[in-house]
Amino acid sequence: MSDWTRRNFLKATVAALGSTATSNAFGLFFLEPVDDPLGAYPYRGWEDFYRDQFTWDSTGRTTHGINCTGSCSWKGYVKNGILFKEEQYADFPAISDQLPSYNPRGCQKGANYKEYIYGPQRVKYPLMRVGARGEGKWRRATWGEVFNAIADQMVETITHSGPDAITFFSAIPAKHHLTLAGGFRFANLIGGVVCSFYDWYCDLPPGEPMTWGVQTDSCESADWFNSDYLIMWGSNVVETRIPDAHFYTEARMKGTKIVSIHPEYNPSTIHADLHVHVTPGTDGHLALAMSHVIVLEALYDAAYLRQFTDMPMLVRNDNNKLLRESDVVAGGSDQKFYFWDNMTQQAVLAPGTLGEKPAGPQPTSGQGSWTLDLGNVDPALEGNYTVATLSGNVMVLPVFERLRDSLADYSPVAMQSVTGVQADIIAQVAREFAVAAPRARVIEGAGTNHYYHNDLINRAQMLLPALCGCVGHPGGGFDHYVGQEKLWAEEGFFEFAFPLSRARQRFQNTTLWTYIHGDVASDVDDLWPKDVGEYIVESVNNGWMPVWPKGNITYDPLSRTVNNDRSPEVLFVWGANYLNQAKGNMDVLANLYPKLKLIVDINSRMDTTALYADIVLPAASWYEQWNLSTTDLHTFVHPFTPVIPQQFDSRTDWRIWKGLARVLGRRGLIYNDTVPNGDTITRDLTTLFDDLTTGAHGENIRGDRAACQHLLDLSPETNGLTIRKRRSANSIIKHPQRFLQASRDWTSDIVDGEAYSTFRRMTENLRPLTTLVGRQQFYIDQDWFLDFGEQLPVAKGPINVDDYPLRWLTPHGRWSIHSTWRDAKFQLRLQRGRPVVYLSPPEAAQRGLADNELVEVFNGHGSFEAHLNIAPRLPDNVAMMYHGWEHYFLNNGWQTPVTIRIKPTEIVGGYGQLKFRLNYWGPTGNQRDTRVEIRRAGGNA
Amino acid sequence: MAKIQRQVQMLFDLNKCIGCHTCTMACKTMWTDRNEGQMYQYWNNVETMPGLGYPRNWEESGATIGTCQPKNDDEAALTPLPDIEGDYGAPWEYNYGEVLKTEGGNASRSVVVPFPSPDGPDAYASNWDEDVGVGAFPNNYYFYLPRICNHCSDPPCVSACPRRSVYKREEDGVVLIDQDRCRGYRFCVQGCPYKKIYFNPVTGKSEKCIFCYPRIEQGEGNFCVTQCVGRIRWVSYRDNKASNLYKLVNNWRVALRLHPEFGTEPNTFYIPPMSPPGYLANGDLDSKGRIPVSVLARMFGDNCNQTLAQREARIEEIFDILETERAKGMDSELVRILVATTDTEQVQLT
Repeated sequence: MSDWTRRNFLKATVAALGSTATSNAFGLFFLEPVDDPLGAYPYRGWEDFYRDQFTWDSTGRTTHGINCTGSCSWKGYVKNGILFKEEQYADFPAISDQLPSYNPRGCQKGANYKEYIYGPQRVKYPLMRVGARGEGKWRRATWGEVFNAIADQMVETITHSGPDAITFFSAIPAKHHLTLAGGFRFANLIGGVVCSFYDWYCDLPPGEPMTWGVQTDSCESADWFNSDYLIMWGSNVVETRIPDAHFYTEARMKGTKIVSIHPEYNPSTIHADLHVHVTPGTDGHLALAMSHVIVLEALYDAAYLRQFTDMPMLVRNDNNKLLRESDVVAGGSDQKFYFWDNMTQQAVLAPGTLGEKPAGPQPTSGQGSWTLDLGNVDPALEGNYTVATLSGNVMVLPVFERLRDSLADYSPVAMQSVTGVQADIIAQVAREFAVAAPRARVIEGAGTNHYYHNDLINRAQMLLPALCGCVGHPGGGFDHYVGQEKLWAEEGFFEFAFPLSRARQRFQNTTLWTYIHGDVASDVDDLWPKDVGEYIVESVNNGWMPVWPKGNITYDPLSRTVNNDRSPEVLFVWGANYLNQAKGNMDVLANLYPKLKLIVDINSRMDTTALYADIVLPAASWYEQWNLSTTDLHTFVHPFTPVIPQQFDSRTDWRIWKGLARVLGRRGLIYNDTVPNGDTITRDLTTLFDDLTTGAHGENIRGDRAACQHLLDLSPETNGLTIRKRRSANSIIKHPQRFLQASRDWTSDIVDGEAYSTFRRMTENLRPLTTLVGRQQFYIDQDWFLDFGEQLPVAKGPINVDDYPLRWLTPHGRWSIHSTWRDAKFQLRLQRGRPVVYLSPPEAAQRGLADNELVEVFNGHGSFEAHLNIAPRLPDNVAMMYHGWEHYFLNNGWQTPVTIRIKPTEIVGGYGQLKFRLNYWGPTGNQRDTRVEIRRAGGNA
Repeated sequence: MAKIQRQVQMLFDLNKCIGCHTCTMACKTMWTDRNEGQMYQYWNNVETMPGLGYPRNWEESGATIGTCQPKNDDEAALTPLPDIEGDYGAPWEYNYGEVLKTEGGNASRSVVVPFPSPDGPDAYASNWDEDVGVGAFPNNYYFYLPRICNHCSDPPCVSACPRRSVYKREEDGVVLIDQDRCRGYRFCVQGCPYKKIYFNPVTGKSEKCIFCYPRIEQGEGNFCVTQCVGRIRWVSYRDNKASNLYKLVNNWRVALRLHPEFGTEPNTFYIPPMSPPGYLANGDLDSKGRIPVSVLARMFGDNCNQTLAQREARIEEIFDILETERAKGMDSELVRILVATTDTEQVQLT
């Protein structure tokens, strides 16, 4: 098959014609002429030809461990040991007969995973690099050889530098729980550094931790059907949420009005009722203009604002800070805040603030003074008041007054020229949204989240449903879908992954790790009072953000880089394609990679990270293992099971970590280690294997299946479900099982017969949020925010630091999940066969470029070549490329034009909800403020 | 015709089609990934419309609207065979083995490339003009059109075959090419105005969609139906009056045939796509969908006799019905059928 060419194809045509001409074609004809082929046909015995093709020896249930948020359940058909066909099981239980079912979740990529099982991309044996990194020269090795080589370097690094120079990067535990939990558990036991992915990939919506105190919580896609009004805002679900898109089209069919806010006429927009083609990066302006209308026309839900937002919280006029108990009462808390009570005409302490929160894990309902029950208090949204403080009388205003002032700058007429959206359309959408409330929803995605000022854009978008009282009601709110970060069964995952506790684990925001060790130079210093590097050093020295390995950190204003005097030495990557997806790609290869003495990649596919690794370990495919899958988009857990045996010399990730633990353990290493919470612990690696394979209560978790069961047992969502038994009513092998309950950290309960939607514990149980003020917090009075004028949602950006004419958009597409399936032949044949970059017809014409021509995409950071695809769906002033192409398609990285830009507000710590936590709060690796130019390849025009 | 006892039919709601090609892949990985001669074959494919289609310009191989005279009725007037290279685009292979040394060894090249190389303005493939459509931003438009063999009631491929090895099954009306008796003359390829028959140069036989008869015979839906994640397809028998397909076609009358002027009586039906309004020159919103009804009417109609104006009227009527029923929400029978809360509402093969 590999030698298939057009010439062969044509030759085969000729040969086939030749053979028909010489065969005894007339025999059958004379035997029994066909009378009338419409109906009775005498030769139907041949029909078994196709029936025989659809026979099999066995079938099995599995899924794909990929960051697509699909979490679909697939049936593999096996004949003669070969997995020859994949089909969705389509047996997700119905939530309600009033909602469309989740069946048949899947997509064209899941239907073609078999190409990777048997194809040339499959890593078949342990490989050790013999050429330069990335050169593609390998020596086949044994497992013993590679484990010993890895152990050698680990002992060297632990002994001469420290375990914090060993870094572990993997992404998305939900997509295959055991794969991540296993590696993290190994890291936790040896003292290695575990890296984040959600912020680094820019999937984290910073506005959610800032406003709601959550990582992200979004409704399952079935609840889209409950909306009466849907704004699809930078979220192209038809391409990027293929298994869920039907809820969108079905909602439209039952009467939901669909507004699509995207710069381009994308595949989701074709099914909308209205296309608002906003100028890229001005979504925050547009959102605030809508809020302007809501406030001006008093379309907001005042009672909701009083109870569930910080709008009645009092702000001091003298210093712009929220009025705290410590301002008013000697020895008062700085985490308790005030309303103005219309009933008693005085400032009263608001219930439910962080200062009222009981110690220990948060309950699922409000209790005592930690509640959103306002009692007899009638908080003022408007007016100005005088309050006696310890330092004298001060004037205070409710946040709502501040907001109203701030929104005055964002009238639809003023925003029309910025956003490119006509003022009356802005006002129309705002009014319709308010009328449809509370069943009005913003579905938000990467299209708005990937900007430098994504925190501000998020906060502006979230303000709209909050003003209308939608957040916390089925069918309404702000729901963000970028990445499969949500670990429903997270309690068990954490217990499994971090047996020595999370407090003792070294965690690292990957954006900062890459930025600092990659010596990335800031180019956005002009946006801030001080250089970004100075803020980074201040943040790290304040203990707000960690940087590992721990060293002395300094800022060099000449090079505009932040330097750490210790460097990472060993990098493990598994379940992710770190290098291919890395922003600052040129700096990573030029500066970070040379610091690494050993790069180990565990992979079933030879991706870019594997290609540039020193050692590649062949992982079992997704059809060859026990594992668990969940997603934000639904409320079910279902398994991977070994539909076929492990192929070639591959092993499951869990087995690989166990194997490495055995070999490393034999080196007899014992060392003391002071961990992040200040404890000094003795790490005895001679028992590493036993520590790795013994569960929380002494269970034997050596086997992959036993380890999966342990993960199920440790979380309230899944405790009671089984992966051990096939026929039990609680078996996840029998069919996907809905979560039994939602643990305390989620914002709503799992309710029979209802789709999961968010923040019902706030609106129904009156449970405060974990923000500083205990409710939706739109006013953030942290000092840096005040310095930057970002205490309220304001609109900034897009930024135009790159002096090139085309905004560079690299969205997710339908044909790949990031880099996976980007290189799959059956997928490529349904595209143009190789990387393409899209330009509008006028932009192409202006450059004299023709369709399908080879062009160069470039800016000051880097360049690569691809073929031009002229796309009428695009507006002018942008260039687009679906993301994820491997280096070996472009001879370079698709992220080469992209640098890393840190926003100072996202490295703040020590403020209520704003404190570093892995994949919850940390700077994002945003990229949509990149600008490029495109020219004919080979030209220097 | 009288000999056909029952007839399977399929219906596609283009307002639910998301162009994901899961149907295409579901079909390909079951039936047409077995030898090299099948690689360019897409028994099921999805096209961006208006567009060139697969093979290129297949829409031009039929008759003119209102004539009821298939261009291919007369054997002398058979349309030319599509050219593999020019009209389908040869299926690319890749030099993975030169670049990715997954068993050890030294890479000889650093870049994975397709061959034959799809260069120049004439390069083509089954989905080459994906998401292109027509018109200028912000008023451009496109929609997705999934296609299988229509298993026509008056199939020209059957009459075109001099060996009579193309036939229509009496029990379900599925049109098949006898893989024992076919000799690869390809008159059927020429005869089919929808160009849903593919010649396999390796086996020397022509092949086509078999309506997944090994599944249908068991009462299970076709793979392109059961794997359709957009949930856009209904499948049933023409005489099953209780089926939702029947209700959509005959009671609600919201589904049309694709190019009925070809005169073959397709057994596939399409609900035409609505679209968001475009913008007028002054920036105001237009009052109706941006896809001109005239464009849709050139593709869809009830039968071969209708004039273009009659087709336009029917499409307007269908849009009126859809909008009227949308406003009723789940209280509307039509809406409930189109939403289809479970798959048993879409696969009704009894």
